Amino acid sequence: MDPIITVRDLTKTYRSKREGLVNALDPVSFTVEEGEFVCLVGPSGCGKSTLLKILAGIVARTSGDFGIRHQGHGATDCHIGLVFQSPVLLPWRTVLHNTLLPSEVLGLDRAAAEKRGRKLLATVGLKGFENSYPSELSGGMQQRCAITRALLHDPPILLMDEPFGALDAMTRDSMNVELLRIWAESGKTVFLITHSISEAVFLADRVLVMSPRPGRILDEIRPNLPRPRDFDSMTTREFSEAVRRIRNKLGMDERSKSHGS
Amino acid sequence: MAVEAKVEAPTNTRREASFGARLRRLVDAGLSVLVLCALVALLEVVVRIFDVPSYVFPAPSQIFKALYAGFAEPIFSRSAYYMHIMTTAIEALASFVIGSLLGVVAGALIIQFSLLRRIVLPYFIGLQSVPKVALAPLFVVWFGLGISSKIVLGVLLTFFPLMINTAAGLASVERERLELMQSMKASGWKTFRLVKLPSALPFIFAGLEMAAAYAVLGAVVGEFVGGTSGLGVLILNRNAVLDVAGSLAALIILALMGVGLQRAVAAARARVLFWAPSEDTLADRI
Repeated sequence: MDPIITVRDLTKTYRSKREGLVNALDPVSFTVEEGEFVCLVGPSGCGKSTLLKILAGIVARTSGDFGIRHQGHGATDCHIGLVFQSPVLLPWRTVLHNTLLPSEVLGLDRAAAEKRGRKLLATVGLKGFENSYPSELSGGMQQRCAITRALLHDPPILLMDEPFGALDAMTRDSMNVELLRIWAESGKTVFLITHSISEAVFLADRVLVMSPRPGRILDEIRPNLPRPRDFDSMTTREFSEAVRRIRNKLGMDERSKSHGS
Repeated sequence: MAVEAKVEAPTNTRREASFGARLRRLVDAGLSVLVLCALVALLEVVVRIFDVPSYVFPAPSQIFKALYAGFAEPIFSRSAYYMHIMTTAIEALASFVIGSLLGVVAGALIIQFSLLRRIVLPYFIGLQSVPKVALAPLFVVWFGLGISSKIVLGVLLTFFPLMINTAAGLASVERERLELMQSMKASGWKTFRLVKLPSALPFIFAGLEMAAAYAVLGAVVGEFVGGTSGLGVLILNRNAVLDVAGSLAALIILALMGVGLQRAVAAARARVLFWAPSEDTLADRI
């Protein structure tokens, strides 16, 4: 079967007042298979968010091509669910109504959407908080609500831009485990961006390593970690092996630093 | 994760003030009233001791007497306050409602359609710097001595704060909220209704607070320039016969009217903007 996401020679240049034409993205090509969990890891400012925004239809590409395969998902025109670094919940809506936002935008059946929304909130541990307002929730809970919103219209693909980057380390670890559980249960394709190498290795079937700006894909690594993964997976030799290899690629090891290459 | 959810109970600290805070507000209000009473009493004593003529400054007791007399007259009498209050209240309310609505619509149009913004906004900015009360005599010529000339002036005064604030609010919506809507391919109207307008509400309410004061100002200035009824007319008439107590009595009613309108806006804000930090109101910022 064809890959669900195909990216071919995608580039992005934009005009900046101070620097003139800026090359945010060098030609980037990759594919993501259906049901796969792919992480894109790279230093900050390497254009990885730009890439995600192009895929999400927020930013226009400069050249190249990308395609998102969608069959059997005729219910809506929206084939992706998007999760930002901050929850981006609407403060005037209750948790449930934040989750239901896509149903209003996409014109889905109200009753069915609400049923699904309540179920999703229960799966992420927000049962009992349906009528709370976002300001009454902790950061981790807010981000879980954002995930239910991204899943409400049952999109085949989940795009995530450093979804747990704003959370403290402990919450972040448990959110990662929870995300893997949601992914395994839902069978969605996940494309997740992060600058944390260990997070990428822990989560992904495949890690794409991106260079500093202008972003290029330097390498592609398949962490050899069995699933289901838990905190113990992070202490295995395979885990540190994969982390080291990515670090080397990004020129973060000491040798390359001291030689300035 | 589920464990964390059980431990954390929803808190309502923002919406329900604690008992201590409520008590403190009550004490503050009581002290305010006491200070006012003390000042009025002091004024009374000063005016009596120095025998200040009542056409310069009447004793507070005389002002209250005038207030009472105004309300004791038959309802439809020319020297009773009722008709004047009605006239000014209608003028101010109509100015407030019409001017605010037009301002919000204009601010929204200017943001939603950039062509309109480029072509029309410079004129609005230019018009903004015209001292609008200077137009009052012209409006009396054009729209007559009735309430319409006052409403036109009030609309002009309330329109600008609402237009500018609405435009500013709509222009400063968090970018990620818009990107979220874009990722769902939301239509412009849905983005406006579900995200932009609610996001702009704190700005709009700040504009409404200003408009509440301007609406009363417009009504009174309009009546000064030329009118047959209203608290502004009453003040002019009382002044003409050196009835300063009567003037001040009308002024007190006018002040109460302004405070009432502003309170109504604040109450509406508290209801609608329960989700926004409450220190955004003008009074709380000082």
